[in-house]
Amino acid sequence: MRWRFEMTGTSTPDENGDGPAATDGSRSVDPRADGGVTETASATETTTAEAWSRSETALSTIVGRPILVGIVTIIVAFLTLPVLVTFVSSFAQSATGVVPRGFVTFEHWRQVLGFGDHGVRTNALPGLAFSLAVATGGMVLNVIIGVPVAYALARYDFFARNWVNTFAILPLVPGLILGIAFVQTYPNHGRSALGLIVGYCLLKSPYMILTVQSSFQSMDLVRLEESARSLGASWPRTFLTIIVPHAKRGIVAGCIITWTLAAAEFNFTYMVASGSPDPFAIFLYRNISNATHLQSAAAVSVYFVIVVAAILVLQLLGNRGFSTAQR
Amino acid sequence: MCNRAPTFTHHDTGRYPTVSDVTLESLTKTYGDEVAVDGIDLTIRDGEILGIVGPSGCGKTTTLRTIAGFETPTHGRVLFDGVDITHVPPEERNAGLVFQSYALFDTMTVRENVAFGPKMQGIPKDERHERADELLALLDIGELADRRPTTLSGGQQQRVGLARALAIEPHVLLLDEPMTGLDAELKARLREEIGDLLADLEVTALYVTHDQEEAMAMCDRIAVLNDGTVEQVGTPAEIYRYPANAFVANFIGSSTLLEGTAENGHIDLGYAEVGLEAPTNGTVTLAARPNAFDLEGAGTIRAEVTNVTYLGDRTQLTATVPDGTAVTLQADGVETYQPGETVSLSIDDTRIHILE
Repeated sequence: MRWRFEMTGTSTPDENGDGPAATDGSRSVDPRADGGVTETASATETTTAEAWSRSETALSTIVGRPILVGIVTIIVAFLTLPVLVTFVSSFAQSATGVVPRGFVTFEHWRQVLGFGDHGVRTNALPGLAFSLAVATGGMVLNVIIGVPVAYALARYDFFARNWVNTFAILPLVPGLILGIAFVQTYPNHGRSALGLIVGYCLLKSPYMILTVQSSFQSMDLVRLEESARSLGASWPRTFLTIIVPHAKRGIVAGCIITWTLAAAEFNFTYMVASGSPDPFAIFLYRNISNATHLQSAAAVSVYFVIVVAAILVLQLLGNRGFSTAQR
Repeated sequence: MCNRAPTFTHHDTGRYPTVSDVTLESLTKTYGDEVAVDGIDLTIRDGEILGIVGPSGCGKTTTLRTIAGFETPTHGRVLFDGVDITHVPPEERNAGLVFQSYALFDTMTVRENVAFGPKMQGIPKDERHERADELLALLDIGELADRRPTTLSGGQQQRVGLARALAIEPHVLLLDEPMTGLDAELKARLREEIGDLLADLEVTALYVTHDQEEAMAMCDRIAVLNDGTVEQVGTPAEIYRYPANAFVANFIGSSTLLEGTAENGHIDLGYAEVGLEAPTNGTVTLAARPNAFDLEGAGTIRAEVTNVTYLGDRTQLTATVPDGTAVTLQADGVETYQPGETVSLSIDDTRIHILE
């Protein structure tokens, strides 16, 4: 083609009428004509508001909405109350039944972290750091393995695809069983950090594969890939710069799930961990089985704090430069 | 409207000569026992827009994907300017693709989308962004450069898709039903604008569509495909006025097929005579356009109206002529007709074509 042309035509730049807003009869906002559309937009708003206020009289609106809000509130309260009570209790000096009394003390936190006068008197911080590192290792390994597997399952219709799909979900076996299988199969290397990383990856991989796969399935994978390649991007480059960023949401969700579950995985850790330093799950177990109610509350609270921090970090990393953030 | 001409020049990779035509040589593609494309020979000439039309499953998209490099032909070759590129990977073909579903990169801004191709060609950031802005201005969407594709309307997204494909200065532009998802009014406007733009840019383009009207409006030549083979190639006027066979006569516009006997310079239909000379005497098939039958004049053919469709500016009728053939007629929208009514028709010889 040759770039020697002169545009002399006077076409109308107006793009109204084909936007999503066109479906409700209003005109889509033309970015080139900032004025002139406000009137139509506000008119639509008024009409919508009227339609809503009319529906206020409907029985389903009067009764239904409060009932729904009530049910949701009760469920959320039911689910979060134990977490809140536990977290608050960890700072209490004593408790009557489940009602904590005498605030605020950090004694239980000191004890579970191994700085107290009694209880488990070993510093828990190296164990916690070790656990976080191992869970992160499992998560990273899951990204490296799970994303391509999810891509292949979503993109290609290959021989035995259904079998691969089934095998990808098969590690949803209990951690205890996988742990026994692991130690039996790799007696020499099973009890190591590497064993934990590989095990966590295997154990939690279905969550990564399923979330990323659904992310891939929700986009026009073939066309995206073909667009990029026709524009001169090689396949690996297309995969890394176009396909993976489009699946970012699914990958972040998969990371959060696999990391959190791996960090708290007890059964597998108990079977495989060598004991030094004590992984997080073992730390929890020791503190819960050999300690008072308030001390175990502190141990569990340590987990809550770590998980919330991890989710926030992963969310922030995932949202950085993410498309839908800008509207 | 942007009236300035882009200043950037052809990004000559040295891989291809400046003339850009595309030739398909006995292109065949089979999937198992199913033949999608069956020995197509076709040339897209330098700077022309060639339309490929045909019903679903006729092989038009397979042909386009083979030129793009996403399908490897079972037999045959694809040539760019005489160079065999049948086994060259898609990313090295420099063929711009525009999809019905737009397939824009949602993780990037509109400008980054358009600059993606030049980026892959190794063009520095400032230069490729400048090129993107020029193309966006040319397509009248310069203001959208910093927006995300997800915030745009369908028509705007398709303009971005076109700008992105043009940004690589493609050897050939491949458009796969680019306007199918758009509403009729916008489609008509884009058709005109994009047709003019592509003609001005002298882009060599392949335009795949199932909509024959769109193809007639946009393309310099049209190839009509059916069952994986080319039925006819020609300018829109050639194809409409001189359809090669019954399939083309019916797919491009509507036609009524009439059976007649050719003898010595005219054709006898049984109930009327047509003043056309057939190449040989004997049974012939004629294709008659709806306007070949005149309802106004004092016709001698008696026909019974069986169906009336009012279309505003005209009325379409179906009527049965004496030999039992149901013919499609066109009347102006003024006079009204009723099913069961008998009308008198005359035949306009110039709007009837003998099929080979």
